[in-house]
Amino acid sequence: MTHAVQMIGITKLFGSVEALRDVDLTVQSGHIHAIVGENGAGKTTLMKVLYGAHQASEGQIKLNGEPVSFRDSKEAIAAGIGMVSQHYSIIPELTCLQNLVLGAEPGPVISYAAAESRANELAKQMGFQFNWHEEASEISPSQGQKLEILKLLWRNAKILILDEPTAMLAPDDADLLYAKLHELTEQGATVLVVTHRLPEVMEHCDEVTVLRGGKLIDSCPVSQTNPAELAEKMVGQAVTEHSPIPCNPGETLLAVRNLVVKGDKGNDAVKDASFELKSGELVGIAGVDGNGQRELFYALMGTRHSSGEIYLGNQNLTNASTAERIQAGIRLIAEDRHNEAVIEDWSIADNAILGLQRTNRVLAGRSINRNTQAELAKNVTETFPTKFDNVNQRFRDLSGGNQQKVVAARSLQESPQVVLAFQPTRGIDLYVAGLVYDGLIKATREGATVLVVSFDLDELMTYCDRILVMNHGEIAEVPAELRQDRSAIGRMMVGAE
Amino acid sequence: MSWKQILLALAGFGVVIGALIVAGAVPSDALQTVIQKALTTPAGWRDILRETTPLLLLGCSVFLALKAGLFNIGADGQFVVGAMASVAVALQNFGPLTIPLAIVVGTLAGGLWALPVGLIKAYRGGHEVITTIMLNNIAFFLSVFLVKGVLKDPESQSPTTAYIAEAAKLPNLVQNGPFRLNIALLFAIAVALALWWYLKRTVGGYELNATGANSKAAKFAGIQIEKVIVRSMTTSGAIAGLAGALQVLAYENRFYSGFSPGYGFDALGVALLAGGSPLALLGSGLLFGIIGKSTTVLSLTGVPKGLSFILLGILVIVFASFRYRKEPSHD
Repeated sequence: MTHAVQMIGITKLFGSVEALRDVDLTVQSGHIHAIVGENGAGKTTLMKVLYGAHQASEGQIKLNGEPVSFRDSKEAIAAGIGMVSQHYSIIPELTCLQNLVLGAEPGPVISYAAAESRANELAKQMGFQFNWHEEASEISPSQGQKLEILKLLWRNAKILILDEPTAMLAPDDADLLYAKLHELTEQGATVLVVTHRLPEVMEHCDEVTVLRGGKLIDSCPVSQTNPAELAEKMVGQAVTEHSPIPCNPGETLLAVRNLVVKGDKGNDAVKDASFELKSGELVGIAGVDGNGQRELFYALMGTRHSSGEIYLGNQNLTNASTAERIQAGIRLIAEDRHNEAVIEDWSIADNAILGLQRTNRVLAGRSINRNTQAELAKNVTETFPTKFDNVNQRFRDLSGGNQQKVVAARSLQESPQVVLAFQPTRGIDLYVAGLVYDGLIKATREGATVLVVSFDLDELMTYCDRILVMNHGEIAEVPAELRQDRSAIGRMMVGAE
Repeated sequence: MSWKQILLALAGFGVVIGALIVAGAVPSDALQTVIQKALTTPAGWRDILRETTPLLLLGCSVFLALKAGLFNIGADGQFVVGAMASVAVALQNFGPLTIPLAIVVGTLAGGLWALPVGLIKAYRGGHEVITTIMLNNIAFFLSVFLVKGVLKDPESQSPTTAYIAEAAKLPNLVQNGPFRLNIALLFAIAVALALWWYLKRTVGGYELNATGANSKAAKFAGIQIEKVIVRSMTTSGAIAGLAGALQVLAYENRFYSGFSPGYGFDALGVALLAGGSPLALLGSGLLFGIIGKSTTVLSLTGVPKGLSFILLGILVIVFASFRYRKEPSHD
């Protein structure tokens, strides 16, 4: 058996920060090889070194036994390596076909007829179907993922690197994707998958490599390990299972009736949604990305117009402004941290009161109560273990995970009634993710209610008291007896039931 | 100060020397002229402070808009409109109310001139740079039309209004030989201090800063960004209008075709150079005042006036390229 990829003693420094330290990776040809680890473990960095996007500070790379050295991704692509990054590189304004050939055009003049016939061939080979002249903005996330894979095949990639390929897919689509990847490996391709979803690794991959803190922890065939062992190696300590805290729901806190919210394209992104959240419960919304979760949160926060009714207790918030909603106790952990949650050029202390600037304790006459601000700055950095120098430090200089912890902690300040949490644990490691959920649950047990959107079904099944499913803008509740039935919820997510 | 900044300062110095040589002047002579005629004489300082007044006020105007994320290219037009409205009032006799009324009307006129810019930006998404440039042209040609028409001094051959009455002029605070310090400069300093207080201390200022820094995040933080945009644009225009009123009442005492030598554009430099702090406007306003006066002095020795504009342009570009460079963000 040949080694498609050998990375030997890879060290990568960013300035003085060591992202990778003496990491070895051997991938056998024709295998699906998983790279697992927590955020910041160096998975993506290692893959980018292989892909030529980063240059290793030390170490050697061999492809099929031959030493190679890539100065940039172009050279890696020429050598048959392709990578799909976590954030898709599809340009929504171009057609699917234009996206497919982008960056690897056959010549200065593009013959779309010839391109289409080759595109069809590749799609047929994979069992995908595409309307090549459709604008890429029209296609679903799972179609997008398929298009990304076809882009690699278009470039004749033999070694495929996929970074979190199933993050945006429903369970069934994820299974389908792996089935296709297996077909590819049978035809001689080699696949590297960066993921944090262990069930996926166990079910679909041949080998697994665990990284932690930029170092290689272990590399072994999947058949010789188990999820608990992998989790322990990833985290570096035994992972305690979350033990559910009994939920005693109180009165209805947030009542939403017949909510209709328009999407960006003028369609009804949320269709006639009605649900109630009770004091004392953590409710999750499961669903594939793009099924109206975003628009629902915008409407609840009052940043997008909606029709229907929204009540907090007996206070009618239907036509309330965002400021009035915050005043009433609604808090948001926004989806898009950079653009919606913080001002990165500001200090931690100034961001600590963003959104809370007109709440009772913060506002003193016309100015801001500096004592309250100092107290909040302390709270938002100490609620969860956050690495920072001082609260006057620029927010931008925090790492992504630490930024997310501050944003999550801020939503729990000044007696929240309803916390709307959009992927609250995005970018933070398993251990702290647990703490964040514990923090949210604690808030509910003190009388608040929390609504969580996550694309990670396992996470929702672990922590939520109830689960709602959102599919094409419609909201349905998962019956109590199915709350631990992964595949049943998965079917509801795609409307199969 | 890092070695980079020192190098930059030296390079800047080199550019100035080089420019002087190209202009046909001996650098040491030029420097001597500036020191002797501008920086060490009471008359020189009179002119520097006079020049500083509109530059500081218009700097405040541009600075405020900039903090709200708006590039007010229209300060010049608002300045002209303010001056014109103010002179129209000051030419009448309202007794002791003449000065206050002329100031208020000039300020309001500047604000009103900027109001549509704010409205169009906030509710229709029209870019403020385009609308303010258009309004600058309208303001300029409107002023020409008026000083050739209804506002024209019948006694004069050229397109100008009559001079305002002695009682309508803002008094000098200090008058010592050729030196003058008009009360208008105190107005300007007061506005800069008020701006500092508003932006750094009040919740309104906090929200204005948030809107300018990240309007989407501001929206999610419950800030009504449309209102903030309209309010800051209008206030920015009002400050520019105030500058126009003071220019009439304190220094020019009349309005004429070509009233502004482009103060509104120099003010962009004043505001950019001040960087983050409104208090720094006091320094950058004075610096631009000194450069303005130095240019006038140098032009007497044959160095073309355009040189100072080149110098200011380079200064602003270099400064902006350092201050507004893009930084990577974490994920």
